[in-house]
Amino acid sequence: MRNTYLWILQLVTGVLIAVFLGIHMVIQHLDAILDFFGVNVTEPTSWASMIDRASQGIWVGLYIALLAVGLYHGANGLRNIILESTPSARTGRIVTWLIAAFGIIFFIGGTYVPVSLLVS
Amino acid sequence: MTEESTRQITFKVQRYDPEQDNTPHFQEFIVPSSRGMTVLDGLLYIKENLDSSLAFRTSCRMSICGSCAMFVNCYPHLACHTQIEELHADKLTIKSLPNLPTIKDLVPSLDPLFKNHKLIKPYIIRRDTEEMENPTAEFGQLPQALNTFLQFSYCIKCGICVAACPTSASDKLFLGPQAMAQCYHYCADSRDEGELERFPVVGSEHGVWHCHLAGACSEACPKGVDPALAIQLLKRRLTSQALRLGKKQPPASLLPLPTKTKDKIPFPEFTAKGTR
Repeated sequence: MRNTYLWILQLVTGVLIAVFLGIHMVIQHLDAILDFFGVNVTEPTSWASMIDRASQGIWVGLYIALLAVGLYHGANGLRNIILESTPSARTGRIVTWLIAAFGIIFFIGGTYVPVSLLVS
Repeated sequence: MTEESTRQITFKVQRYDPEQDNTPHFQEFIVPSSRGMTVLDGLLYIKENLDSSLAFRTSCRMSICGSCAMFVNCYPHLACHTQIEELHADKLTIKSLPNLPTIKDLVPSLDPLFKNHKLIKPYIIRRDTEEMENPTAEFGQLPQALNTFLQFSYCIKCGICVAACPTSASDKLFLGPQAMAQCYHYCADSRDEGELERFPVVGSEHGVWHCHLAGACSEACPKGVDPALAIQLLKRRLTSQALRLGKKQPPASLLPLPTKTKDKIPFPEFTAKGTR
């Protein structure tokens, strides 16, 4: 049943990516839409604005969550594609562990900067 | 056969003898074809008149046994169920089914198909083993319950769905549409309780979650079975099981034994009293 849980998680992370990425896009790149609704975001892509968001726990949490769901979704998708052409179950296990290790390394690398900024 | 109604069709047939050939090659035969003639009729003509060494499987000639499945003009067909006329071609390229090993000429090995078929335990599994081993009565089943899986019981195990499946082509460990449709067939049967024994097989890395949903299996099936639908329904069952969703229906119970009927009308006495 492990693969069933992995696939359910794949679907859930797909939906979460749409939500988190939607928030990111609206705030960062589609500020004209916010203007339409009367919310004025001044230069969301500027350095000062970015550092300001990095000091707020809610934004750091949102981006770490986006990184986690994006990494899981991508890594599991890649694993499924590779597993289709693996000749044996043993090779499949090696592929799974390698991708899991890369995912963890990328997650640690991705969360280090925002967490250290938040702590400092 | 009159000349007007007869066409000369070129049969380009795959030949392969593992004892002599390293790779398959093709041999061409000219076959006179008339209206209503099937691909199998053409192959039988070749075997009877042109080359008796041509190997292919055939049995019922009425698309019931599934023996004569082969790859005709790059699509899997039952040779007995495919008329030459409907292919609209003067040249037919006939090969053994892809995604299955070839034994000889047009004879595929169905061992991988049956190996996967056995893996999903294609029989009724009950917890009451005593009743299974020493049956005392029949399990009751309503027509509505039968209709939930009836179409999947029409599978003739010809291997056409596996030959058409793009995932079977790329993933040699893939369970295949035939086995998964049969898994759904038995899981959906109201008399069965073997879901948990089959789910680890179909929920594996090379099971239902690897289906690309191309639907080629359903399109190619000569019996109108829809394995792609079965795979989707199986995914729903697996998800419900994993998330503990839905209400589990109790398995069908035993039907009561028939009550004793009235005594039959006594057999008339034909013997004349006077003769005694």
